[in-house]
Parts: sequence; structure tokens; C-alpha cells
Amino acid sequence: MSNRAIPNAFVKNVLQNGLGRYICQLQRVTLNFCKATPSSLGTRDFIEKYLVDFTRENPGTVVYVKPIRNRAPFLVAEYLNGRQERVSTKDMPADEVCKWLEHLRTRSGAQIVNLRKEWLTNTPSTQGVWHPFLNKNPSLAGTSFPAPELYGAKTESKSATDMVLEEAGVKKVGSVDSASSKE
Amino acid sequence: MRAYLKELYNRRLRVGPEKLRHRSEFMNWNYNAEIYAFGKRLGEEFSNDSLQAAFTHRSYIEAEEARRADLGIDVASAPLGLTDNSELTQKGEETASRYIKAYLRSSYPTMFEEAIVAIHDHLMSDDTLSHIASHIGIGDLMLCSDFPPEESTLSKNFLAVVGALETDKGVKRAESLVRDLVLAQLVGKELMELWSVTNPMGLLMAVLDSQGRGPPEPRLQWQAGQRTIMAVYQVGIYSDKQLIGQSAGERVTIAEDMAAQDALQRMMGIGSGHMPLTFRTEADKMELRYDPKNISAEELMQTYELRQKENSVS
Repeated sequence: MSNRAIPNAFVKNVLQNGLGRYICQLQRVTLNFCKATPSSLGTRDFIEKYLVDFTRENPGTVVYVKPIRNRAPFLVAEYLNGRQERVSTKDMPADEVCKWLEHLRTRSGAQIVNLRKEWLTNTPSTQGVWHPFLNKNPSLAGTSFPAPELYGAKTESKSATDMVLEEAGVKKVGSVDSASSKE
Repeated sequence: MRAYLKELYNRRLRVGPEKLRHRSEFMNWNYNAEIYAFGKRLGEEFSNDSLQAAFTHRSYIEAEEARRADLGIDVASAPLGLTDNSELTQKGEETASRYIKAYLRSSYPTMFEEAIVAIHDHLMSDDTLSHIASHIGIGDLMLCSDFPPEESTLSKNFLAVVGALETDKGVKRAESLVRDLVLAQLVGKELMELWSVTNPMGLLMAVLDSQGRGPPEPRLQWQAGQRTIMAVYQVGIYSDKQLIGQSAGERVTIAEDMAAQDALQRMMGIGSGHMPLTFRTEADKMELRYDPKNISAEELMQTYELRQKENSVS
């Protein structure tokens, strides 16, 4: 997780895709298969049943179909950022090929690595990042230290102890009044 | 066996890397399908003719004609029949330039004209446009003589695509494309970095004077760690006893400069905490005025200097 050797990256969105319009990042997909061997059966079924619908739903992706004799079937997806992804569809049924194609269609083309954060924002703070001067009382800037009157906890109202002591007519030990009176 | 494999490996290294080839050299390539998909990818309906023209560069036509002449084919009797994209590029550049300025002026009504021009120049630079072009798939579709494609060719091609969209679907759709692809690149950018102000304090004085407000008075607000290398000074600029800008810096002079820039930023309506740019349906409803320019910083400074001279004379 925190190993420097394991590739990781922050999630990124190229060209602010989705901010204005969404552009499908899958540029073209090539289905390589064999017309005869049994390992390509699912891929052949997919081409017969579902491929045309896929092309109609995704007119922005060019689909190439490439029969190759006696080779195991695979998909090659090319993305707008220039990267390619290969998926072997050997012995896969047609619906599994469907699912893999859907996975490839919804990807951005970026390499799959550990994400350091699940989100990305350019403005993590709208009110401004905290800094030590942010909520400081401005009068402190002109105060010369040491300033004994500032030491000790600030109380906004009388505590129960204070009220009792007041009634008894006794000054609290360790209070500011007692310190100044000692001096 | 190991020695044999090692020798094969070293021979492959000696030969060098695989030659860089254009995508069209591979078997699975259908130019018409690729062009059609390009238009659909952007969500627009182009006409085939204008898209074809947008991707054809002058250099390609010249190279083709030279090649045919070399082969002995008479170019005059068998013309190529290709139109190049110079007209569409110009059209696209004008539309994009006009729209970017109008959009910025409308989004930032108090921003100085110089800043608007600086941001516009950044957006219309070869760097930005070629980056956009290569990420929407123009690189593979271009017909030009240079390979790998140069930045200038890519950016011209992008503008030609904008021009083609304007020809087919009108100005509004072309502007929408420019907004979604080009203006979206401003999100997350520091706009003050794109425009360099040589004398922010002087400009601030001129601005406040023109608005009839009190002159800017910088005041040291906080300081810490003076005799260390991590000294920090926070300076605030006040006008008529109201805080208009503040910033921290390593030295008092730096902090004052940055505070003046902060004040200008706040006046222009940029910086963190300000409204983001509008996109999508909200942006379609924006009523943009193309001609009236924003206030010019230069003019303000000149007016201020003249007034100062008059005051000192009188």
C-alpha cells in the first residue's frame, strides 16, 4: 500500500473530460478471432449477436474484425491517449466478451495502478487553507511579551466554583487577582 | 541455450527500436470509418466533405503532387481533387478567438483587457491546442507531410475542425465545441500566473484613484521568525481603512508585492473562493457581447500618471 516500489498514481482526468461534454476515450477496438477453432466460439457468437448493436450504440468507436487462422482470440482496445489494452477472449462465452468490451469502453486508457486518492480536485479549499495567523486576535500583533494578563485560561462566564467562593468571600488561590495582590 | 538466447537479445538491441509508423500503415485501418467516428466521438454531425478538407494540409497536397510528378503522371490532367484546410483553419481561428475573448469578458467583467488577452493567448497557443488535438484523435487522421506530427500542424488542424463545424452546423455549435475543449483547460489554472504584472502596486494605485477610493496603504499585519531562514511577514493593503488584499511573504517587500497582486485578483473576481466558469446548458444561455472590451490597465496607469502630473504642476 505504501511501498515506493509498487506503481501508484493520483487519479487523473485528461482534457477535463465530462466538464463540458463527455468524449468516449475508446478510439478503436479490434476483435481478432479464428473462424474455425473452438476457443473462438464465444467471440464468433458475440460478433454474430451483439457486435452490431455495440457499434450502433457507440458510433465514436471504430470496430475492426480481423479473422486470423489457428490463433486464440483476443481484443485490442486503442485509446485516445495512445495506449493499447489487450484482452484474451480464449474460451470465453459471448456474454463474457460483452462484459470485457463494456469494461474497455468505459476506461480512460490510463494504466491501472494503485490510486493514492479516490478523488481529484483543483480547489480542495474554498474558504482558504488554515494558517497560524488566520483567526488570531489582531491585537496580539502589537502586544509586547511577556504579558502576564494574557496567561491563564480565559473564562467567559463565572464557574460554579467562582460563585461559591464569592459567596464565602474568599478569593480563589492561583487566580490573577491573587497573583497581582501578592506582587 | 542461454548463450544463444543472449546473443539473439543483444542482436535485437543492436538493430534498434521498432520504427515509428503512422497508424494507417497497419492492416486494420479504414479512413472513412475513422473520420466518421471522429465526428461522432465529439457528439457532432459533420458533413464528410468539410471534415475531409479539415484534415488535409497544404503540405500533403504538395507532397502528393510532387510524388505524382515524379512518377510521370500529369498533374493537370488528373487533378487530386483535394481541398486544403487553410480556409477552414482561418475561419476556426477567428471564431475561437472571438468566442474565447467574449466568454472571458462575460465571466470576468472586472478583469483587465491585458489579462484577458494573456489568457486568450495562452489558450490559443500551439502548446495548448496541440495537446487538445492529440487527445481527441486528430493525430492519426491528419494528412500532412510531417511525421511525427508537429505541434503547429495539430493546432491548425484543430482550428480547421472548429471551422468545419461552423460551416456545417453554425457558429453556436462551433462555440460550444471551443468551450468544452479549450476553455475547459482553464479549470484549476492560476489565472494570475498567465498574466504578468510588472508593477502591481502602481496599477492598484491607478485603479483605486479611478474609482475615487482612497490610496492603497500597506500595513504589516503579522511577522514571525525574523532572525531565521523561515521568516514570514504578512502584509495587508488597506484603502479607506478597508482591507482589499493581503498576503504573506519571505520578506516585507515580497509580501507587499504579493498583497497588491491579491488585491488585484480580488478586484478581477479570480482566485480561490470565486465562482467557477459556466459550462453546459448554463453556458448556452449566456448572452455574450463580442465587441465591447474590458477596462485596460495601461490606459488606467496613463490616466493616473497624467493626473498626478497635473496635480504636481498645479
